[in-house]
Amino acid sequence: MKLFTIASRLYILSIVAVFTIGGLLAYFIMKSIIDTEFNEKLIAEKEQLIYELHTYQDLKDTYYLNIGDRINLQEMTNQKGIKQSISDTIMYDPFERKQLPFRTLTFSDRFQNKNYKVTITKSLLPNQDLVRGISEIFLIMFGSLMISLLVLNRIISKKIWSPFFKLKDQVQAFNLSRPDMVVLEDSEVSEFQVLKEAVEAMMQQTLRDYQNLKEYTENTSHEIQTPLAIIKNKTELLLQEKLTKNQMSEVGKIYEAATRLSKLKEGLALLTKIENNQFIKQESIDVRQFIERKLNNLQELIDIRKIKVTTKFFSALVIMMNYDLAYLLITNLLSNAIKHNIKGGNINIVLRQNVLTVSNTGVDPGVSTNELFERFKRSSTGSDSTGLGLAIVKRIVDFCKLDITYTYAVGKHSVILEFPSD
Amino acid sequence: MNILIIEDEIDLQKSIVTYLKKEGYHCEVAANLEEALEKIWLYKYDCIIVDITLPDGSGLAVVEKLKSKKSKVGIIIVSARGELEDRIKGLEIGADDYLSKPFDLSELNARIKALLRRRNFDAQNEIVVGDLVVDPANRGASIKGKPVNLTRKEFDLLLYFISNPNRVVTKESIAEHLWGDDMDLVDSYDFIYSQLKNLRKKIFEGGGTDSIETIYGIGYKFIRG
Repeated sequence: MKLFTIASRLYILSIVAVFTIGGLLAYFIMKSIIDTEFNEKLIAEKEQLIYELHTYQDLKDTYYLNIGDRINLQEMTNQKGIKQSISDTIMYDPFERKQLPFRTLTFSDRFQNKNYKVTITKSLLPNQDLVRGISEIFLIMFGSLMISLLVLNRIISKKIWSPFFKLKDQVQAFNLSRPDMVVLEDSEVSEFQVLKEAVEAMMQQTLRDYQNLKEYTENTSHEIQTPLAIIKNKTELLLQEKLTKNQMSEVGKIYEAATRLSKLKEGLALLTKIENNQFIKQESIDVRQFIERKLNNLQELIDIRKIKVTTKFFSALVIMMNYDLAYLLITNLLSNAIKHNIKGGNINIVLRQNVLTVSNTGVDPGVSTNELFERFKRSSTGSDSTGLGLAIVKRIVDFCKLDITYTYAVGKHSVILEFPSD
Repeated sequence: MNILIIEDEIDLQKSIVTYLKKEGYHCEVAANLEEALEKIWLYKYDCIIVDITLPDGSGLAVVEKLKSKKSKVGIIIVSARGELEDRIKGLEIGADDYLSKPFDLSELNARIKALLRRRNFDAQNEIVVGDLVVDPANRGASIKGKPVNLTRKEFDLLLYFISNPNRVVTKESIAEHLWGDDMDLVDSYDFIYSQLKNLRKKIFEGGGTDSIETIYGIGYKFIRG
């Protein structure tokens, strides 16, 4: 998830939470204040009415009875007074010409020696309008605050975080084989400046380590060549001498070990070369043609193992790739499919759009298929391989930004190679 | 046959000389560029094996010098394994073949023989070993006049043995000879075993004698009486 998205989401969530709770609270408090105020007004009216009823002999003189809300006096036969009560009702309002809510205060009073039931009915309409008005203001405020916060967040994020994103892009673009391409920029924000310096130091350290390692590998690999050649050739000469069977076998073992070492060295040197970006030249390669040619080269090996090869090319695929790397990649995949096959087994090669699948019959590798991509990881059944084949494949795949998956299921190995679609 | 070996590593130089002398070649050596240039100016060789990395310069200078003299000598360049640029450059300026270090002496020997065969167009091209006649130029073989149908690899294998008669040829060198760069990928000697079994069978069925001796665990030896 993106930084903006997370921040915006958090903002929205907290604002909604705060405003919902705050809004509801405000609504109820407001409502209760207005309500209480309204009731107090009713009571005040009642007091005024009682005063007037007691003061004036003629009801026509009363002020309230004439201009107040709906006031109703009803003579009561009951000598006992009734308790004061307040209730809401819906009534027809002749002015507004519709049913509207009203609040009625009912009480009894005795004047002019008679018991009266008095009701004061007051329209709740202004009250409701007030609550609605306040709610609307509240909602508008809420909405505009939310929008402005989000916009502000975006602007601030963009502005404040821009050095961070720049740094992120640069770190992403960092390539050990082309270190000069990354120049980190200074930032005014001290935290980012610290981060930049830390990243810079890390990169430099990595570069130094990498350089050292590279030199070491290159030197070792170069210097090892001559002694190896001497060992190999001297043992080869020894083998021509009249040796006892035992001596012969011992010398043979030296020779074998030297050969193995030289092959290991070669594989490692190749890995280093790929890492060093020494395979840059790209050319267009017709995958189908390439595979068919390679299969033709390997035909005798295939025949010896009595392997049945089926190829299905559903589409033509021309890729841009370094020829040597493509050669190594395809050779490795096909050779593996032959080498780790069973006698009389089969190999299926399917090319569909930009996906090449090479599957073959074979025994359980005994280790996780992902681990086989690591250097020197061999299947428990593999005998004299250097353990670098798949590591080289992986390196090439990574280098050329292809996708590879290797699966094993009940006697069937499948390598799925995905070329970038344009 | 005169062969000049230009190699600065004395041990390596000596091994090559020892192996090739047994083949009946006359070998001379040079340990640096100066010595090499002097020798090619003074003498005439049939084949020159030159290491590219020499203490006082590149062995490619020898190739250039020879080519400028329009010499017809066969040249095999040797360099550190995997130095693709060296190889391309060497072959471009006129070397005939390329070997990368470390190489097998039997392989070097086979390459020299192939090179010399290609150079001597006039000479008889066929190699006769008892009843067996091998024609490298046309990649054909026959026993007592009857052709034997060999696959490409079987023929290569037979020729490799014939090039290194009475020598122990290791299975590793055979694998490398037959499969080249793919060798470490295929690296299962079952393949050689099967290949060899077929070859023996075909020679036997063709009425020839099986002259390939198995040196258990190490390789094979082609006996030529």
